[in-house]
Amino acid sequence: MITIPYLTALSTYFSYGLLFAFGQFRDFFRKIFDWWHASNLQGYAPICLGLEDFYIRRLYLRIQDCFGRPISSAPDAWFDVVERYSNDNNKTLKRTDKINKCLNLGSYNYLGFAASDEYCTPRVINSLNRFSASTCSTRVDGGTTTVHKELEECVANFVGKPAAIVFGMGYVTNSAILPVLIGKGGLIISDSLNHNSIVNGARGSGATIRVFQHNTPSHLEKVLREQIAEGQPRTHRPWKKIIVVVEGIYSMEGELCKLPEIVAICKKYKAYVYLDEAHSIGAVGKSGRGVCELLGVDTADVDIMMGTFTKSFGSCGGYIAGSKELIQYLKYTCPAHLYATSISPPAAQQIISAIKVILGEDGSSRGAQKLARIRKNSNFFRSELQKMGFEVLGDNDSPVMPIMLYNPAKIPAFSRECLKQNVAVVTVAFPATPLLLARARICLSASHTKEDLLKALEVISQVGDLVGIKYFPAEPKKQQQQQQQKQGKGTIKLE
Amino acid sequence: MANLYVKAVPPADLNRNTEWFMYPGVWTTYILILFFSWLLVLSIFGCSPGMAWTIVNLSHFVVTYHFFHWKKGTPFAEDQGIYNGLTWWEQIDNGKQLTRNRKFLTVVPVVLYLIASHTTDYQHPMLFLNTLAVIVLVIAKFPNMHKVRIFGINADK
Repeated sequence: MITIPYLTALSTYFSYGLLFAFGQFRDFFRKIFDWWHASNLQGYAPICLGLEDFYIRRLYLRIQDCFGRPISSAPDAWFDVVERYSNDNNKTLKRTDKINKCLNLGSYNYLGFAASDEYCTPRVINSLNRFSASTCSTRVDGGTTTVHKELEECVANFVGKPAAIVFGMGYVTNSAILPVLIGKGGLIISDSLNHNSIVNGARGSGATIRVFQHNTPSHLEKVLREQIAEGQPRTHRPWKKIIVVVEGIYSMEGELCKLPEIVAICKKYKAYVYLDEAHSIGAVGKSGRGVCELLGVDTADVDIMMGTFTKSFGSCGGYIAGSKELIQYLKYTCPAHLYATSISPPAAQQIISAIKVILGEDGSSRGAQKLARIRKNSNFFRSELQKMGFEVLGDNDSPVMPIMLYNPAKIPAFSRECLKQNVAVVTVAFPATPLLLARARICLSASHTKEDLLKALEVISQVGDLVGIKYFPAEPKKQQQQQQQKQGKGTIKLE
Repeated sequence: MANLYVKAVPPADLNRNTEWFMYPGVWTTYILILFFSWLLVLSIFGCSPGMAWTIVNLSHFVVTYHFFHWKKGTPFAEDQGIYNGLTWWEQIDNGKQLTRNRKFLTVVPVVLYLIASHTTDYQHPMLFLNTLAVIVLVIAKFPNMHKVRIFGINADK
């Protein structure tokens, strides 16, 4: 549920309308100009159909310097951002040699494993010397080493399932598994804000896709009942299989999934649950085992648990954890296992070492400290931002916090002003988010210290005042306790 | 007025090209844009109010016909072209007919026509042009015209 001030909604529509109108004018004149100057590409088919690249050319390229900034160091809490300049109004950007040391509020570095770590990095270098950087073959040919076997056991134990299979790329894990699990005659019900990898995998599978309103178990139940009653599209035969796909933490909202209710509904209607824990594995839960531990859901109830190693473990790749029969089946059929290069051995070693640190098996309590720190950091930062009057989405304990911007002009304003003060934030606009709801997404990390957070809060507050995104009234600091007491008394009187 | 907040629930529409139309505030923005463009035309051309309404009505006809009923597909490539054969009008509300949004968008040209013809006192040639505009727009929005291409105009190759 997002609360927009009405005037902001009107002005956002108007701004997008104006940008769209300008884009159309420029396209119109460009068409006349090009027709006048005939090109030497007669007989060649156009690369893009019609308006397909309109958004990229006329809206995205104008603020291109806010996206895709090159960095020249490891993405730790502080990192080096390369400066760029443009001579033709952001159509092309050129790098300079100057770098800025900026506070990193954009990397998915939840547990601080992105930079070199005292336990993980020596072991990774050993593994690199022993196995080399790539196995140069698929898992079935010559790409399964002892590291891969150890990794799969480690992941299965960590997540709480009997067996696991690991792939070299996180996106491919979703888009290559869904077509194997379900085909024509099956039904995929996915949350309306699921990641693009799930959408692509579902489209590639050939099954019928239905969408339910984001995180609304009652609507999921309604869709399930309707679809089970109707059956397959034209023949009305019963569905071969129904899979409900949800995510642990939604990366654009920072919200946790309502997993207990959704699992209960799926059990009632005998549908399979596919949980994508890309952002939540390792980052939430008392011992870092993800959203199942946090919300108290038994892992035996979730049929397929998927996750990626890019966020909390500081590596690359993705995994699927499930029953032994499921993983055995995937090893025979999944194209990412049969034809794609296996995960790089040093990357696999990094994951194993990171899991050992999180579980405390390396002999220190650094894992527990990191988990406690990220929880404390997230709760502190979120409550401070909300007190300042920003509209921040997401639940407590979630390390992802989007700050709503809405207006398209505030996206580059916020991004550039923050960069001037050496804070690097990631701003997200259409089409990753809905058109109106542009946001700046802050991802905290266990390697941010209290001073880093206070500096970030100061800068964001200043820039927020300048850009005008404090949509809610700020709470005054000193009188806050008195106000809370008065409000408490006030509600009792009204009741 | 600044404290007036609206709640926005993300609608379950996968088509990013049309999903923005289901958020609160769209209808008001549409009506306000028409009103302010009338004021703009009055101040630029300095004509009578009726003439200004006629100009607004005709430009509204050209713009909405071009973008709602002529241009097909979506302005981005992420959806891999599944809507490439459908105009914006055929895409909204997932192709369901007679929803609230569609009824609103059908009523707006009619109301504009009534305002324009009333303020010009039903004189020719404005009346003829206004009537032509409203007939074309309303017929294009009928549910029976869903995916219909008359004489193959604007059909896929």
